[in-house]
Amino acid sequence: MTQMALLQNSLVVGAILFALGLVGILARRNLIVMFLSAELMLQGISVSLVAWSRHHGDWGGHVLVIFVLTVAACEAAIALVFVLRAFAATGRLDSAAWQSLRESNLPRVVDHELPSIDTIPPTFPTLTPAGVLPAADENERLQREHV
Amino acid sequence: MLQDISPATLLVLVPLLPLVGAVLTVLLGRALGSRAHLPAVAGIAASAAVALSLLFALARDVGVTPGAHGEPGRPVEMTTTLWQWAAVDDAYAPPAGSPAEAAGAAIGADSPGATELRRFSIPITLRLDPLTATMLAIITCVGLLVAIYSIGYMHGDPGYPRFFALVSMFVFSMTMLVAASNFLLVYVFWEAVGACSYLLIGFWFTKPEAARAAKKAFLVNRIGDFGLAVATFLLWMTYGTLNFHDTIAADNTILPGILGRTQLADAAGYAGGVVGTAICLLLLLAACGKSAQMPLHVWLPDAMEGPTPASALIHAATMVTAGIYLIARCSPLFVACPGALTVVSIVGATTALVAALIATVQTDLKRVLAYSTISQLGYMFASLGTGTLLGFTAAIVHLVTHAFFKALLFLGAGSVMHSMGGVIDMRRFGGLRRIMPITAATFLIGSLALAGVAPFAGFFSKDEILATLHAKGWPHAHGEQHEAAPADGHAHVPVAARFSSLRSSTAAVPEVKLDALDRPGVWRTLFWMSLITAGLTAFYTFRAVFMTFTGPTRVPDEAGHHAHESPPVMTLPLVILAIASAVSGWWLFSTQSLATFLSSTPSFTAPAIADTAVPHAFHLDLALQGTLAAAIGIAVAAIGHLGRRSDGPQLERFLGPLGTLFANRFYFDQIYSAFIVKPLEAVALIAAAFDRYVIDGLVDGVARIPGAVGQVVRRLQSGLLQRYALAGVMGTLLIVLALAWRLR
Amino acid sequence: MIANVFAELTPGLVLAAAVTATAASLWLLLPRGREQAAARWLGAALGVAALAGFIATGRRLGGLGEESVFLIVSLVAVVSGAATIVSRSPVYAAIWFALALAGVAGVLLVLGAQFLGVATIVVYAGAILVMFLFVLMLAQPAGLAPYDRVSNEPLLSAVAGAVLLGLLTLSIGRLSATPAACCKVPSRAAALGGPAAPVAAEPAAVVPADPLAADHVARLGGELFGRHLLAVEAAGVLLLVALIGSIAIVSRDDTPGGVESTVGRRTSP
Repeated sequence: MTQMALLQNSLVVGAILFALGLVGILARRNLIVMFLSAELMLQGISVSLVAWSRHHGDWGGHVLVIFVLTVAACEAAIALVFVLRAFAATGRLDSAAWQSLRESNLPRVVDHELPSIDTIPPTFPTLTPAGVLPAADENERLQREHV
Repeated sequence: MLQDISPATLLVLVPLLPLVGAVLTVLLGRALGSRAHLPAVAGIAASAAVALSLLFALARDVGVTPGAHGEPGRPVEMTTTLWQWAAVDDAYAPPAGSPAEAAGAAIGADSPGATELRRFSIPITLRLDPLTATMLAIITCVGLLVAIYSIGYMHGDPGYPRFFALVSMFVFSMTMLVAASNFLLVYVFWEAVGACSYLLIGFWFTKPEAARAAKKAFLVNRIGDFGLAVATFLLWMTYGTLNFHDTIAADNTILPGILGRTQLADAAGYAGGVVGTAICLLLLLAACGKSAQMPLHVWLPDAMEGPTPASALIHAATMVTAGIYLIARCSPLFVACPGALTVVSIVGATTALVAALIATVQTDLKRVLAYSTISQLGYMFASLGTGTLLGFTAAIVHLVTHAFFKALLFLGAGSVMHSMGGVIDMRRFGGLRRIMPITAATFLIGSLALAGVAPFAGFFSKDEILATLHAKGWPHAHGEQHEAAPADGHAHVPVAARFSSLRSSTAAVPEVKLDALDRPGVWRTLFWMSLITAGLTAFYTFRAVFMTFTGPTRVPDEAGHHAHESPPVMTLPLVILAIASAVSGWWLFSTQSLATFLSSTPSFTAPAIADTAVPHAFHLDLALQGTLAAAIGIAVAAIGHLGRRSDGPQLERFLGPLGTLFANRFYFDQIYSAFIVKPLEAVALIAAAFDRYVIDGLVDGVARIPGAVGQVVRRLQSGLLQRYALAGVMGTLLIVLALAWRLR
Repeated sequence: MIANVFAELTPGLVLAAAVTATAASLWLLLPRGREQAAARWLGAALGVAALAGFIATGRRLGGLGEESVFLIVSLVAVVSGAATIVSRSPVYAAIWFALALAGVAGVLLVLGAQFLGVATIVVYAGAILVMFLFVLMLAQPAGLAPYDRVSNEPLLSAVAGAVLLGLLTLSIGRLSATPAACCKVPSRAAALGGPAAPVAAEPAAVVPADPLAADHVARLGGELFGRHLLAVEAAGVLLLVALIGSIAIVSRDDTPGGVESTVGRRTSP
């Protein structure tokens, strides 16, 4: 693979990661997942930077990625604290919990009633009974519903 | 004392002193309180003294000697230029090589009109000649007497200082109007006088009738002002100048003014034809507006809503004479257009007759006097329209005597009104001669003068007017050849008018059809109309006298128990004016001093006018006819009203439908309302509806667009952070896409 | 001729199809409230198709066959990244993210950035991600929250991301070995030493002597602590400030029903 092809392919990978992160930021409502998406975007940038660094043959990209890592760490620390505070205030990790800056006469955006998830009851393998029926321990039977 | 000051300074002082008085009254009015009349009265008094001294000085210069009459005068005038206004030096100089430059070359650089065109300026020039001096003296003297009278009449009015400021301002405007030596200045003060009149009619502006009357007077006057404005434009187009007087340019060339000696000496100097007639008719329109002639007379009776002194000063003695002055001043223009002159007479005589007929059935004392004023002004117009020297001087002499006796009558009416608690309806009082003898006596003198009873003032001046009309109607009876109009009659192209294509084209227009009116038959009709008017004048005057001052004493309730003679400050002017009304006519007639003096007015020395001078004579037959008419009128009035209760509508019953016609003032107001006011109101309604629903609707519709857009866009302001982020990303993408498309 | 036109158009069509497939796949995969297994399977299939499209584009870019390692690690990164953003459960998302980090680290290693590859694993997966998980454990309620089951404008977001991706890929495909004159960056020597140094002296693309050289980390360290020492110090200060700031913010007790229940009580003196 030529240097040019390596550069271009690496850039495409970075672009994909960046775009995925963007979609996550825009679409997902969980604050933690939004964060993860932001970090994904940073990863895409890091890939691109390193690819360019290799292409140009200097250390600038590497150094910048190191600082990106540093700043990402700081950002994560601060932002997670904010997330905690926000959770403490609302009890949710929902980005839509804050709508106070909307137009005064617009109704608050609320989620529609979601269809309940069909929780499939866990099934367990059933063995063909063989031999002598073990003596049932009453205590154990009270504590365990299924074997 | 006054002889030591140069005439030019004195001439400036005449308008300046009332102006100073007005300004001082405005500034100090509140502080002076009940003495607010002091600056105004002092200013007008000083102005009157100066004006009289100027009059006598000028009379000495002209050399009026009793008996030396019947001769055409030599022009006497003096001008003083204060400063140049709107000086546009060489502003018209076109750039070299332009078509305008070529046109200028074709005109000829040495043509005076071309120079004037390039050097446009309005000189602020005051002039003094016999006509101006006479007018100044009348205005300031009557103004002074009215101002003194007002001290008593307006006492205690909350607008006391305002009244005196306005009167002073009016005297300033009027003196400037008659002293100005430029058509534009005349126009300016023509408007200023109208504005003062508006403010004085609407002096009690909280009274709806007064406010309406002021508005009406102003609007009707605007029609006349429009005529004056257009006439001024046409004069500029025709003569290339607006000055009355000749001016001497820097290179010693004489720039002829419209009424300057150069122009007057040129026998064919004035435009006839269509343009000349148009100018004259427009000037007549202006005069009709200001002097309340038909069909623009409707404002004057309503103007009686103002304070009575203002009515006496403005709407009887001075302002309404502005139209007379204007036509007299422009007499050389008029004599070049015999048709227009005849129209002046027809308008005057018709107005005189109609107003007199209306006056016969009025029950409001001031309204009687108002219609009487219109009628007398019509006399003056009829006299002016004859176009003879005698006609012009007779009109001015009648103006002077009329100023005396009409001011006297108005002030007498004001005195009655003052005493009767504001009531002016003649049916509600009577026999007042026992309560207010001075007022009654002076009012009687004024009435005798107005009715034309010898030897009071009106007799002589009215006799002159009848004589001049008679001379036009029966020219051979007077043994003279009237050459009022140039024999060939058609248009003369003035010297200064030869450079304009417009003028050359109009000059080619032949005789105007209007000139055909100048026939003895027409003049005879006018003479008879005037004679009938004289009889009617005597009738309605004495009807008013009998209803007011004779019969059983009746006092309206409004007067309370204090119906009394007016204070001396009000009766003194009455007495002075009564003496003037009694003797001025005889004196002026017997000595012919004023007529001779006036014949030196430059305007009256135009050959076409000066040639009509006739030896002064007393026409016994005409005097007998006039006296007979007056006697019949007085007799009928005595039969109808002397010694009877004054509240019966006897005359209307006697006249039947004609009485209704007169009482409704020939339905002028109704006709105007139906044919002018109502259609205009309809147009205004349509325009207002158009404005409200179309224009405003358009604007409101445009204004609703942002609101509608906002209603849609505000839904985007959900407060959800991620939607904002999405919008930001999409916007960025759009920009990137556009860039990518561009850099493709 | 038609074949020529088709050949001309094919790469563009492939890219367009890949972008469309990406958008559709993301839209189908993102949580939309309704749990339809078929939709998710369709989304996954479309995602695979989109990946194939991008791989096809990449293959055209320069013979990917011999670098299968790159292909594998990048596929890991991309698929894990996609799984990160479409996972309903944030815990799963975090774990998928860890896998994506591993993929990214692999890509970095392929690109010769040994230190960075390792550092990404250590710092992200070892420190930051663990922190996320702690927070999740502190804050995540039991079960799936409603806000984890719905997305904010999934279609528009997916389209926006896909269009961005298409634009970036398009512009990346237009890169050429020699940059256009307008885009030529002056060499560092020229920038520092003035205009005397000829621009052509710097080669367009210089391969570092050996990406896997033994002294790679030493040279990066030399660069970092040599030319960028001041920035390193600033980054250190930033870390300290962030540390102090997060402690200060989290331990404020001005909210009613404050944060004590989640992060522990402040010890009163």
